[in-house]
Amino acid sequence: MIQKKVCMVGVYGTGKTCLVQRFVHSIFSTRYQSTVGVKIDRKVVLVDDEPVTLLLWDLEGRDHSHDIAPSYLRGAHGLIYVVDGTRRDTLDQAFELRDLAERAAGPVPSVIALNKMDLRDDWVLESGDIDRLASESWHPLRTSAKTGEGVEAAFGWLARATVGGADKADT
Amino acid sequence: MTTEADSPETVERNGQPEPAAFDRLRDLLVGPERERLEDAERELEAARLTPERLAEHLPEAVAIRGRQDRRLARALTPTVERALRESVRRNPRELAAAIFPVLGPAIRKAVAETMAGLVRTINTAIQHSFSVRGLKWRWEAWRSGVPYAKVLIRHALVYRVEQIYLIHAETGLLLAHVAQPDLTTPNADLVSGMLTAIQDFVSDSFGPQGSGGRLRTFSVGELTVMVEPGPHAVLAAVVRGQAPEGLLETLQATVESIHLDFGDALVEFEGDTAPFASAGDRLAECLETVLTTDRDDPSKRVWLVWAVPLVLLLVGWGWLRVRANQRWDAAVAAIDASPGLVVVEAARGFRRASLRGLRDPLAASPKALAAGFGLDTVALDDRWEPYQSLEPAMIVARARAALRAPESVSLELRGVDSLLVTGRAPVEWLWAARATPLPAGINRVDYSALVPVLPAEAETHRRELESSRVLFGVGSADLDPAARAAVRTIATTMRGLQSALAPTGTRAVLELTGRTDPTGRDDANQALSQWRVDGVRGALIAAGIEAELLSGRGIGSSSPIAAPAAADRERVNRSVSLTIVLEPVASKGTP
Repeated sequence: MIQKKVCMVGVYGTGKTCLVQRFVHSIFSTRYQSTVGVKIDRKVVLVDDEPVTLLLWDLEGRDHSHDIAPSYLRGAHGLIYVVDGTRRDTLDQAFELRDLAERAAGPVPSVIALNKMDLRDDWVLESGDIDRLASESWHPLRTSAKTGEGVEAAFGWLARATVGGADKADT
Repeated sequence: MTTEADSPETVERNGQPEPAAFDRLRDLLVGPERERLEDAERELEAARLTPERLAEHLPEAVAIRGRQDRRLARALTPTVERALRESVRRNPRELAAAIFPVLGPAIRKAVAETMAGLVRTINTAIQHSFSVRGLKWRWEAWRSGVPYAKVLIRHALVYRVEQIYLIHAETGLLLAHVAQPDLTTPNADLVSGMLTAIQDFVSDSFGPQGSGGRLRTFSVGELTVMVEPGPHAVLAAVVRGQAPEGLLETLQATVESIHLDFGDALVEFEGDTAPFASAGDRLAECLETVLTTDRDDPSKRVWLVWAVPLVLLLVGWGWLRVRANQRWDAAVAAIDASPGLVVVEAARGFRRASLRGLRDPLAASPKALAAGFGLDTVALDDRWEPYQSLEPAMIVARARAALRAPESVSLELRGVDSLLVTGRAPVEWLWAARATPLPAGINRVDYSALVPVLPAEAETHRRELESSRVLFGVGSADLDPAARAAVRTIATTMRGLQSALAPTGTRAVLELTGRTDPTGRDDANQALSQWRVDGVRGALIAAGIEAELLSGRGIGSSSPIAAPAAADRERVNRSVSLTIVLEPVASKGTP
């Protein structure tokens, strides 16, 4: 059986836990609960009809007082950076987080989820931002944990990428 | 030496130099070499190997060589073996005697150790199998309906290694996992991840900077999680109860062996757990359940294997023994109660039994009686002293034997010493029995109730005679013509009877009874009846019957013959009737 460790990385309150809950349990709660330390969940996805178990490490979000613990990222096969589309600073910090994560986990496949796309009125990211991400070899995807939009796509792409590499995932 | 001596002289003679000078020259030129040559010669001489010299140095040489390496021993082994074989072949006793002092103690020690081990095994097995505690738990299990195994675990669990996780150190992914069969662990992969996360957290939070400090053990309620880290994989054991110290060593050894065998796979691990499938067996070896009652489990089972049949055997044997004892006691009692048998001593061993006592020759066979109780008479030794029993049954038996009583005759003891004979028997037997001396214990024999059986013809005559009557007229004792005719018939029949009885040694005496009708005075009737008897008697004598075969008297009307009609009764009683009395012919002469 193939197992892959995937870490959810991002600033606090960007919706990492919500994306995992939506993906694994198909539920969404508006109640905010900050994650302490790490929570681990599991989801089996099919890649080319082969089951792949994703162990989703939902890491505590970064905040002013403390950074993400690099030890949690060690050995990760894939990363999902989560950005709150209504908070520009979360995108800025994603760049810093990428440096940290790649030092710990190496150059592993990653997705940057531009989350909360359901909140169109408050959306602050522009198409330029997304182009900039793509140009810096990010794989940006718009997601909404609330509606589920883009969630399967984000995890599915990453699963495929961890198994067969990014090239395969693009096809 | 000779060559050396020759050559200088030759040189001397040919060249004619001054001899002393030459010697000096020679000393100067080859002196040191010559000394060395002489030394070498001496050494050669010393080194020549003679048996004496070898004998002198051999022990030392062997000792030195033996210290150096084992080659000498190896070289000698075949020779020593051959020598031993040869010694045994020639005279086995020699070697046996030599090693006997060693052999005896060694064997005793081995036997003692084996016995001690056996005793220990039995002790522990008994302690655990049939302890009060064990029975209590079985009772509890039966009462509560909970399987005994669970009750046992609840009370007796020392520890139980419930799960073993093999976790990839870097990713925290689960490589392999084993659990006790009764456990369901659907989230093993999550546990594996969380264990790793916790490890990371603890390491980050408490471990000194860069030291890689690790969480090794933590407890949750009754569970203890023991973590054994390796460079690439971590082994985690979930233990219920008190984890033993030895478990940590087991885990270490397992982690090491897994690194040894799966080293490359661990380094190259990219999420595919297939290469680690075979590690499961090794993890399973770490799973174990240890109960207080479990410590000697294998020996207990071994013990039970032969204990159960043994107990059954003992119970069966005991039951048979009890049954055999009961049979024996019953048989001895019956033999003792049997007439003419007195048991003085009854003994029963493991295989044989013996009886001693007194036996009347006429008593039943004791062996036959014993066989009747299912005893093995072949294994029964009996010895009986003969004696005469005075038990009634034996007296009767003895009398029957002495009198040669036929089956149709019954003998019965009346009072202490009087024998009553009843039934039917040939008249000859009666005379013979009467002539037989009385057997021990009997002083009187009563034959009165015995019916003597006569030959058929004699019987016919007897009946004819006894039903005959000579009738008289009223008040008359005269024989009228009819009476005379009757007397003649009686005489003829009487003669027939006598001749029919002759072969049986018997003679018949005719007893005549005279009667009258009730009319008239008694004394007159008495006299009349006597006259009637005398008349018939006279007529019979006249008809040729011997007087000694005739007896009888008149009884008047005192004991009349019964008849239905009154008139008939009077006629019938005016008569002389006949009774036959049998006597042995032999007694004729006796007074």
